[in-house]
Amino acid sequence: MLELFIAMMKEEWRVHSTMFGSLSFALFPVMIFGIAFMGSFLVPLMQTTMPAGNLTIILHSSYLMLGIMVGAFGLLGNEVMNRRFGQASFLAYSARSLPLSETILFSNFVVKDTVYYFFLWVLPFGGGYLVAAPFTGVPVARALLLLLTLTLSFLFGLCTVFLLSTVYARSHALFWLLLLAIAAGWAGLSLATGTNPALFFPPLLLYSAFSWLNLLASCVVLAILFGVAIALFNPESVGSEKSYRNAFAPLVKRLAFLKNPPLAAKDTIDLYRSGSMVGQTVFSFILPLAVIWFFLSLLGPFFPPHGLLFIFAITAGVIASTMYTWVTMFDNFGPYACLPVAVSTLISGKLTTFALLQLIPAAFIAAVAILAGEAAYLVPAVVLGLSISFYAVGIMAWLCGLSPNVMVYDVKVLFIYLVLVGIALTAFTAIAFANPLYALGSVVLLIPAVWFVRKAKVRWDAVDPEGF
Amino acid sequence: MTIVLEARDLSKTYGDVQAVDHVNLTVEEGALFGLLGPNGSGKTTMIKMLTGQTRPTGGSATVLGIDALSNPVGVRERVGIIPEQETPPSFLTAMEYLQFVGAVRKLPDIETKADWWFEFLDFSDKKNVLCKDLSRGTRQKLMFTQAFIHEPALALIDEPLINFDPIMQDLVKDYLADYVKKKKTIFISTHILEVAEEICSGFAILHKGKLLHTGPVADLKARDEHLPAFFLSLVRKDRHA
Repeated sequence: MLELFIAMMKEEWRVHSTMFGSLSFALFPVMIFGIAFMGSFLVPLMQTTMPAGNLTIILHSSYLMLGIMVGAFGLLGNEVMNRRFGQASFLAYSARSLPLSETILFSNFVVKDTVYYFFLWVLPFGGGYLVAAPFTGVPVARALLLLLTLTLSFLFGLCTVFLLSTVYARSHALFWLLLLAIAAGWAGLSLATGTNPALFFPPLLLYSAFSWLNLLASCVVLAILFGVAIALFNPESVGSEKSYRNAFAPLVKRLAFLKNPPLAAKDTIDLYRSGSMVGQTVFSFILPLAVIWFFLSLLGPFFPPHGLLFIFAITAGVIASTMYTWVTMFDNFGPYACLPVAVSTLISGKLTTFALLQLIPAAFIAAVAILAGEAAYLVPAVVLGLSISFYAVGIMAWLCGLSPNVMVYDVKVLFIYLVLVGIALTAFTAIAFANPLYALGSVVLLIPAVWFVRKAKVRWDAVDPEGF
Repeated sequence: MTIVLEARDLSKTYGDVQAVDHVNLTVEEGALFGLLGPNGSGKTTMIKMLTGQTRPTGGSATVLGIDALSNPVGVRERVGIIPEQETPPSFLTAMEYLQFVGAVRKLPDIETKADWWFEFLDFSDKKNVLCKDLSRGTRQKLMFTQAFIHEPALALIDEPLINFDPIMQDLVKDYLADYVKKKKTIFISTHILEVAEEICSGFAILHKGKLLHTGPVADLKARDEHLPAFFLSLVRKDRHA
């Protein structure tokens, strides 16, 4: 059991380091550490305009969202192990020939992934803040506590979504019932106390008033969520044959107005039949954004009028750009290697499907604008969200080609991505805050987006279409 | 005779490993040519370079008159390929996959063609089953179909019979033998020497990326030699050299 876990950890390291070099991968947490370290020096400045408590809320919500976005293991069942790296994930394949249950294999895989995310994201960030503490005047004990509560936030997001996704895989009705019950519980709590329920988030409570009992309670809740999720995990039965009526030909006809109808039809069928269309939308888009909305609503007074809607639209745009990872997770170049298709054609195809998926964020931002009583700014908010999304995906395609899930851990890739996206986010946040209607100007981002896509095609056609 | 495939000084290096080492090879139209070699000898890399799936680090390759390095998609348009690991996309059914192949290759009347292959390779009952749920043998049938459905002038096949049962192997061997009679060419890579001896007209032996021998099978037969014994003596000699 432990040997398998260690072997999986080694394999994960080697897959990444083979792709872009040990140094580039090893420097990834160093960069996160550096960002947190330098960012810590901005905290005193930020506190002049925003109470420290609100910064804490933003940090915790970010880590909760990270956990939510990576936690939907149950959604794909065993497929998740195969899909991460295909046949390069040799252990996920070969370990099935060992006398180990599917549950043990899967548990090892999930724990390994969690540990990896912890070392890549959570620890370096908390570590950066901790090391900067003596220079920023923050007590070390406080920085240590932040590291602990950020870890808990990440784990709460991960374990909750892991459980929800395993329930979803077993019964859609039960999942919706459970989600409804959770929402009703939060709403009830909010009505009974007259407080935003986000403030009852255990890691936040723990950060504001640490107690060993609260810490123990949090750990117990996490253990229960994780344990139940593992127990409910439903390994895909081997040898079952699923048959479907032909959907490809009708879909190609329906998508005939697009540039690559066969590729878009294939990707759409992949998303639909794998359960990812609904599942990913719920777990990787709506849930994180709902959480963000909860937490951002606490910060409303610190934004200019209508600012909350536009901050939300920008966040939705960034998360919507990750839909590119949904359409690239099912295959690499391998299945196309025997066909007259270039990598650039595949990138085009994936981006076409991505563009179709943008109906989801567009509808979501519009719905939020209406629900928030900001219908007058619905169009600028949708335009801003989608422009950011297309701009970010252009950069992603240029930097990562068909492998955004893997290439993100190349420190050079992440750095360039953060800088280029960060510039656009900062500029258009300021512009939208100055005048909400100016957000319509974000449509100019489509020009660099198209430029990056063109560069992506040239770049990825010029290298061997191997790897993941 | 027309040359349909030509490799000149073709080389490929992966880090410190010389996978293919300055190979010169020609294959004529109408040949059923076997590329033989032990595991890791560079056979798969050769096929990948000839079909533009990977770039050579040296030399050149021309397939059906097209430069595989500068126009890999052009090569793949004209040839049929069965890769080493059969990988039809997961969530399409077998029929949908062939429709997908037909759409990418812009083939008319793909359903009729696909139905013929489903019947011929005896897997009509699987046409609506998801590719990911197909057995290894059935996936190989599907990959075989996609490689020949457009009746290419040249097909390059990595281990053509490895997942087939004996009945299917017999059927496929007959099909390949008939195919080359129509002035089409087949290039197979295999380490099953008996099959190569039975069906190939020409062969080449690759070992540690180097070409040890190339020539017609008929020459061996004229010398009353058998391909397996010839192969083993040559490779063993090279191993000790």
